[in-house]
Amino acid sequence: MLEVNGLSAGYQGNDVVHDVAFRVAQGEAVMIIGSNGAGKTTLFQALCGLLPPSSGEVIFEGSDITGIPAERIARLGMRFVSAARHLFPRMTVEEHLLLGAYPHKPDPKTMSIVLDLFPRLAERRRQHAGTMSGGEQQMLAVGRALMSKPRLLVLDEPSTGLAPLLAKAAYEALDVLREQGLTVLVTEQQVPLAMAFSDRGYVLENGFIRLEGTTEQLAANPAVRSAYLGVT
Amino acid sequence: MTANILDGIVLGLQFGLLAAGLTLIYGLGGVLNLAHGQIAVTSAMTVAFAIDAGVPVVLAVGLGLLAGGFFGLLLDLTILRPVYRLRGEARVLLSLLLTLGVSFIVDGYLNWRYPLKTLNIYIGGGAIDILGVPMRRGSLVASAITLLTITGLFVFFRSTSLGRAIRSVIEDEAGARLIGIDPKQMLRLILVLSGVLAALVAVTRSMVAPVDTQSGLSITVFALIVTVVGGLGNVIGALLAGIILGIVNVVAADLIGSYISLILLLVAAAVTILIRPAGLLGVKE
Repeated sequence: MLEVNGLSAGYQGNDVVHDVAFRVAQGEAVMIIGSNGAGKTTLFQALCGLLPPSSGEVIFEGSDITGIPAERIARLGMRFVSAARHLFPRMTVEEHLLLGAYPHKPDPKTMSIVLDLFPRLAERRRQHAGTMSGGEQQMLAVGRALMSKPRLLVLDEPSTGLAPLLAKAAYEALDVLREQGLTVLVTEQQVPLAMAFSDRGYVLENGFIRLEGTTEQLAANPAVRSAYLGVT
Repeated sequence: MTANILDGIVLGLQFGLLAAGLTLIYGLGGVLNLAHGQIAVTSAMTVAFAIDAGVPVVLAVGLGLLAGGFFGLLLDLTILRPVYRLRGEARVLLSLLLTLGVSFIVDGYLNWRYPLKTLNIYIGGGAIDILGVPMRRGSLVASAITLLTITGLFVFFRSTSLGRAIRSVIEDEAGARLIGIDPKQMLRLILVLSGVLAALVAVTRSMVAPVDTQSGLSITVFALIVTVVGGLGNVIGALLAGIILGIVNVVAADLIGSYISLILLLVAAAVTILIRPAGLLGVKE
């Protein structure tokens, strides 16, 4: 579904991620784990089109989308939820969800699926996004992305800024979406959360992919265990 | 006094509409359009010449609105292109300089070719009493059109998906792009809309007082003051500031003299900025 080859990207000519390659197949949940500063967010920005990559290629459902601007990528059936969330502070929850479907008419069925998944959003329909808690904002960012009925959802550190219980709840919601057949790619530094959720994963260190494998393989790897799972 | 306040409100709503256009362009694209008044005047002249050529007034007004929208589109397609390549402060400054240049060219041309041309749409019929004050019919029609337009704008921005998409770009440009909204397209649309609004203000002004070829600069200055007082990027703030400054303007002109009213407007603007640096309803960044 998504195939990335030799991708390098960075700011002002200084690449932060180098020669990154990975793929996500239909129906899979894939994680890219790494510590703070490993380049996860830069990689995410290059994928979603907010940052033009300096080299490499990104192929989504067979077509080359390398360097295409974010607003066009978003219309191809792949949606991105940034760690910064990028909500609209003075717009209501309902307006976010309606806009998620833009430029199409919001589908009432999708709306009710989203509101079933996040009942908090239903309670806060008329509230402005800027006045909501971090957990609610995360739900809204995911809900807004889902309104377009994406085939691939890409999340950048969904646990950012969330208390442990809320972070867990965020992943539980993602589990539900997976069961409904959504393909998910997630970057995460809270590795245990991502491991419980994903089928396969890649380890990003200093901008390079160092390791890859199924979640079981990675969980059994001594380097991964000591660096990310706190096991010595 | 009531008459002054009513006049002030009418004038203020028109200021507000002018400022709404400026503030939207700034909020969406970080661009300050100093040719705003010249768009209004060019549209007014389009209406005046169309009427001279025998076109019925309503149709002529339609042509004027089209001209305003087209002027906005033209700015987007030509002079603002290099501006769009810049970010932040440089972007505001270059937009300011280039549109100021456009305003000089338009002013110069109009004053050279048509120094005496004015638009004055006369609405006949006697005065009508509002709150015990006889109001001229032209002034009432002007306010009705202005109020209707403001209502239309609110409906557009609150209840249509295009209106919401435009607001989302003002709120968070990256967020809008991530859900498939093209900020450049929205900005182009707003430049056209603000051009139409400027034309509409020129037309409604001309129902109360003549609009001549020299009015461009003062229209821009009024709009800019109102925009700053209302808070850059805030439409409701612009309308509110328009009404307040409209009343200040008319009352000051009546009590002291019109020569002093512009100074008072500037004082009111300066005081607002001192007390609330982000404007009446502006949000601190």
